[in-house]
Amino acid sequence: MRVSLRWLADYIDLPTQDSAEIRQAFASLGHEVEGVEALSAGWAGVVIAEVLTAERHPNADKVRLCTVSTGGAPIQVVCGAWNFEVGAIVPFAVPGAVLPGGFEIGTREIRGVTSNGMICSERELELGDDHAGILVLESDAPIGEDFTDYVELPDTVFDLSITPNRPDVMSMVGVARELGAYFGVPYRLPSLEVQTVPGATSIAATISDREGCLRFTAREVRGVELGPSPLWMRRRLRAAGMRPISNAVDVTNYVMCELGHPLHAFDADKIVGGRLDIRRAIAGERLTTLDDVDRALGETDLVIADESGPTSLAGTMGGATSEVSDTTTRVLMEAATWDPPTIMWMSRRHLLVSEASKRFERGVDPGSPLTASARACQLLVATGGGEILADPLDVVAVEPSLVEIPLPVAEVERTLGPGFDSDRIASLLASIDIEVSGIDPLMVRVPSFRPDLVRPIDLIEEVARLAGYDTFADTVPTGAAGGLTVEQERTRALRACLTGAGLSQAVNLSFMAVEDLDAFGFPADDPVRAVVAVKNPLREEESKLRTALLPGLLSSLRYNRGHGAKAVGLFETGKVFFARPGAVDARIPDQPDRVAFAVMGDVGVRGLDGRGAGVDVYAATGLWRLIAQRLRLPDWRLIPSARPGFHPGRCADVEVAGTVIGAVGEIHPNTVEAYELAGRIAGGELDLAPLIEPTPHPLLASPSTFPPVEFDLAFLVDAGASAASLLETTTAGGGPLVASARVFDEYTGRDDNRKSIAIRYELRAGDRTLTSEEAAGVRRTMVEAAAEAGAELRGEA
Amino acid sequence: MLALWFGRISVRLTSPIGMEELEAIAAGAPQRAASVTDLEELEALDSELLGKRSKLSELQRTIGTLPPDQKPVVGQAIQAARAAITAALDSRRAELRLVAANALLESDRVDVTLDARSFPLGAAHLIQQTIDEVCDIFVGLGYLVAEGPEAEIGWYNFDALNTPPTHPSRAESDTMYLEFGDPADEALLRTHTSPMQARWMERYDPPVHVVVPGKVYRADTIDASHLPVFHQIEGLAVDSGITFSDLKGTLAHFAREFFGSSTTVRLRPHFFPFTEPSAEMDVSCFACDGGQSGCRVCGGAGWLEMLGCGMVDPNVFEAVGYDPAAVTGFAFGMGVERLAMVRHDIHNIRHFIENDVRFLRQFP
Repeated sequence: MRVSLRWLADYIDLPTQDSAEIRQAFASLGHEVEGVEALSAGWAGVVIAEVLTAERHPNADKVRLCTVSTGGAPIQVVCGAWNFEVGAIVPFAVPGAVLPGGFEIGTREIRGVTSNGMICSERELELGDDHAGILVLESDAPIGEDFTDYVELPDTVFDLSITPNRPDVMSMVGVARELGAYFGVPYRLPSLEVQTVPGATSIAATISDREGCLRFTAREVRGVELGPSPLWMRRRLRAAGMRPISNAVDVTNYVMCELGHPLHAFDADKIVGGRLDIRRAIAGERLTTLDDVDRALGETDLVIADESGPTSLAGTMGGATSEVSDTTTRVLMEAATWDPPTIMWMSRRHLLVSEASKRFERGVDPGSPLTASARACQLLVATGGGEILADPLDVVAVEPSLVEIPLPVAEVERTLGPGFDSDRIASLLASIDIEVSGIDPLMVRVPSFRPDLVRPIDLIEEVARLAGYDTFADTVPTGAAGGLTVEQERTRALRACLTGAGLSQAVNLSFMAVEDLDAFGFPADDPVRAVVAVKNPLREEESKLRTALLPGLLSSLRYNRGHGAKAVGLFETGKVFFARPGAVDARIPDQPDRVAFAVMGDVGVRGLDGRGAGVDVYAATGLWRLIAQRLRLPDWRLIPSARPGFHPGRCADVEVAGTVIGAVGEIHPNTVEAYELAGRIAGGELDLAPLIEPTPHPLLASPSTFPPVEFDLAFLVDAGASAASLLETTTAGGGPLVASARVFDEYTGRDDNRKSIAIRYELRAGDRTLTSEEAAGVRRTMVEAAAEAGAELRGEA
Repeated sequence: MLALWFGRISVRLTSPIGMEELEAIAAGAPQRAASVTDLEELEALDSELLGKRSKLSELQRTIGTLPPDQKPVVGQAIQAARAAITAALDSRRAELRLVAANALLESDRVDVTLDARSFPLGAAHLIQQTIDEVCDIFVGLGYLVAEGPEAEIGWYNFDALNTPPTHPSRAESDTMYLEFGDPADEALLRTHTSPMQARWMERYDPPVHVVVPGKVYRADTIDASHLPVFHQIEGLAVDSGITFSDLKGTLAHFAREFFGSSTTVRLRPHFFPFTEPSAEMDVSCFACDGGQSGCRVCGGAGWLEMLGCGMVDPNVFEAVGYDPAAVTGFAFGMGVERLAMVRHDIHNIRHFIENDVRFLRQFP
C-alpha cells in the first residue's frame, strides 16, 4: 500500500510532515514501512498560465505564435502544439526555468520571432508519456501560481506492508483513521454525495455461488464519454503505483485506494444478454484477462459470466470482452463482496496478484460496496459527463452479521497486565471508530470494516496496539528449574571432543539424490533406499530426504578440495529420514539423529612441514575411540565388516551394548572417486541416541602405589585374527592383576597365513609389590589362554 | 690456621714431603682449580691432588711410621689439607658444570615463533554456536530445551497453531509436503519450530518454559538471503499470570545478552495466526548504537528486525487441551541464520551450507 502524504491531506491534518515521525507512527501502529520515497518536481520555474492568443506563426506553418498570461503582462511564446485553444490553462516554463534533464529554458528567436519560455507537455515535465500536445490543465487551475504545488509536489510516499488481518488499512481513509488515533487528531471522509437521475440499472444479476459471493452490486452511468482523467487524479494514481488508463478505469482504482473497496467498470453494452451470473467456472472455459493472458479456468474459479461465458475472474481481474473502451457510453460500476479464501486460492492458482485480490483476500468491508460505487460514479461523471441512475443493482446472498463482543476488563489485564480500566479501554477503541458501551464487561460493537475482530482477544490486541507496545513495562518471569538434559549435555560433549580433535562441524541441507546412494553402492533392498520423497520440490536436488549423513559430508569435502584445501575433517549431527512409521508418532516418518564424520588429508598434530599423521582406517577407528572415551561408553567393540561405501578390508561395525549402531572405516575407492575426491578418506556414521544415553557416574579405582611389573609377549596368529580378540583372551586369562595391555607391533612375515602381534602387559596389585613368581604365574596363564585360542607364543622380551 | 700449626711441629718430622710442601699444595689448590677450563681437566687435577698417587696420599701412608705422639697431629693436618683441596675442586666443578649446562642450553636455542607443532582445532558450526548460546541464555531464565520432529503433520504445523485450512502458508508454493502416510495427515516438512509448542503442551501440564531449536523448511530457491532449510529457535512460556510485559522483558533480556548490554528493543504490532497480540521485535543497531546514516549493519534505520513473537492465542491453548481461562503465555520464534548474519556481518546466507573450512574456522 503506497501512501502519498499530499493525497492523505484530503482526509487528515497531520500535526507533522516529518517522515521520520510518521514512520515511527506507522511502526507503532503495526504498519511496517518498507520504503519511503521522496517525490519532487523535475523542474523549476514552471507556472500556471492562461493562453491569451494563439495564431499561426508568420514564418512557419507547423508552429503557433501565442501570448500567455501568468497574471501580469502578456508573454509571447512560440508553441508547436495545436491541441489547445485560447483560454486554455497550461503549464508555462518562464525564461530561466529548468526542465527535467537540466534543460534550460530561455528567450530565443524562432524564425524571426522572439519566444520567451515554453508551454510544456506532460512528457517534458516527466508527469506522463503524453507528448501529442501540450498539457491542458483544469479550467479552475490558479493562474500565476507555481505549477509544482498544483501537482502536489514535492510529496512523500510511504510504502506500507499491511498485515493480512487488516483490510481496512489498505485505503487512504483507513490510513487516516489509524494515524488519527496515533496523533490524536480527527480524520474526515471524502464527499460521498451522489447526484442521480431516476431509473434502475438495466443489467440483471444472479448469485449462483453463494459461498463465493456474499453480495453483488452495480450502478449504471449513462451517456458518459471516456477520456483521460484529470491531472491530479493521474498524479495521485501514479504516486500510488498505478498506471492511469481512462477516466472510467481510473476512478475504480482511485476509489479503491481511497475507500479500500475494489470496483470494476464494465461496458454495459458488451454484457451479452444483459444479465450477469456469479458462478464457478466450468472445466474447459477460458478467459483472457486484462493483462492479456489467456487463462484456462477450473471448477474452483469464481467468475462473473454473461451469456457468452466468463467475463471476469471475480475479485481478481476483469476480462477483455466487457472491457470499457473509447466507444463506451454506458458504464456498469460493479462493487461486490467476495469470500476471502476463494479469492486467495484463485489468485494463487493463477499466479495473479492484483490490487483487488490483495484486498478481497483480506476481507473488504461488506458495508461499503454502494458507497464506493457512488463515489466512483460521481467522480466519473465529473470528468466524463453522463448521469447516474438512482436505483442500483443489489443482490445479497449473505447478510453481514453485526458483531458485538463482551469484553471483561479483567480479561484485558490478565493478558496485558495492570493499568487498564473501562474508561481507558473504551477511549482507546473509540479512537479507531469502535463503539463501546457498558462498564464491565464492556460491550464492543465491531464496525463492518474490521472483519478481523471476532473474539475478546482480538480486542485486547487492539487495546495493546493503541496503547503503544512501548508503553509496557519490562518484566522477566523465570521457570522453576531449567537446564539441559543429560542427552543434550552429552551431545555437546560429543561435538566438543570432535572439534578438539581438529574436525569442524558441517551443516548440510536435509536432502540427497538417488545418485548418492548409488555412489555408496547400496543394494536395492537396503533400508537406506526407503527414501521419503517431497511431493512438491522446487528443484530435483530437494526432492528426497536424506537417509544418511555421509554423502553430504563427502560433498562438503569435495567443495573444500575444489577450493584448494588438502586436509579437512568435518562432522555433522542431524536427522535422517526413513519411509517407515516413526517410533513415537506413526503418522510421521522415522527420523533418527545421527553423527557422521569424514576426514581427508591429515589428522593430528602437524609438524613444521604441515604434515600430521595421515588418514587411513585407523583415523576413523581412532576418532571412534576418542568418542567412546569421552562419552564413557563402557561396553563397545569394533567388528570387522564390509558396509556399502566403505573399503571392504578397512571397515568396522561399531557395536555398543550389543547393538550395531553404525560403521567406521575407510571410504571405498569407488565412492571416493564418485565424489571426485582422492586418496584415503576416513569416515563413519553412527546413530546418536545410543551414544548420548545417560551413563553411570564413574567410580574411582584407586591408582596403586606399588610398582608395576612390565613384560612383552609376541604371538603368532592367523592372518585374519583380530588384535582386539587376542587382547581380550590374554587379559581375561591373566586375571585381575593385569592393569593394562597394549598392542605395540603387528607384522606379517614370510608366511602370509600367519601374523605376529606383540603386546606389552603391565601387572599391578593394589596392596603389595608383586613377586617375580607371581608375575611368572600370570604370564603362564596368559600364554595358556592364548594357546587355547590358537595363538602361539613366539617370543618375549 | 694450617700454617700456624705446621710452624710449631714441622722441625721434628721426617717424611716424604715436608709440612711446608703440604701447606703449599693446599694453599695452591684454589688457584690450580681456577686455571682448569673444563670438567675433564678438573678430574685430572682431582686425581693429581687427591688420588692414590698424590703427595697427600703418600704422606698418609707414612703416618704409621711416625712417633705415636705425632700421628694425630700429622693425621689432622692431612685431613685439613684434603678438606681444603676438595672444597676448592668442588667449587670449581660446580662452576664448570654450570658453564657446560649453559652451553648445552645455548646450543638448543630455536626460533620460538615457528609454528612447528600445531594442534589443529576444529570449529563448531556458527549455527550450532548460536543455537547453544541462545539456549543457554534461556536456560539461565529457567527454561528447558527441547527438539522435535522435522517431518511433521499438518495438525501440529498448522491446525493446532490456529492456522486455518485456507491460510496461504499451507499452499504448496510455501510448504514442502511429503509422500508419506495417510494423506489426511498431511505429512510435511515443518515450516517453523512452532509445532513443538503444541507437542510439548499436549505432553506436559503448565507451567511451561521451553526453547526449541532446530531445522525448518520452506519452498524457497537458494539465493543470498534464502535457503530451503534453515534454523529457528522457538520459545514458549505458559503459566497463570504471564503478561505482555513478561514477553517484552524476556526478549529485552535476551537481546542484551546476545547483542550487548546497551541493546534496546522495540516491539511493533504484527500478525501471526498463533499469537495475539502479535509483535515483531527490532533491536537497536549494535554497530552504530541506533541510527547513524550509512551504517553498514542497519543502513541508518537504527533498528534491526529480529524476531516474531506474541501472546499465545487462546485457540492454541484449546487445541492442546489447556484452559485458556486459566493460563496465559507468550511465544517467540527467531531465525538463527539471521541472528548470526547480523551479529557477524555475514551478507550471504549460502555460507552456512557450503561447509567451507575457511568460513567455519573463522568462528572457532
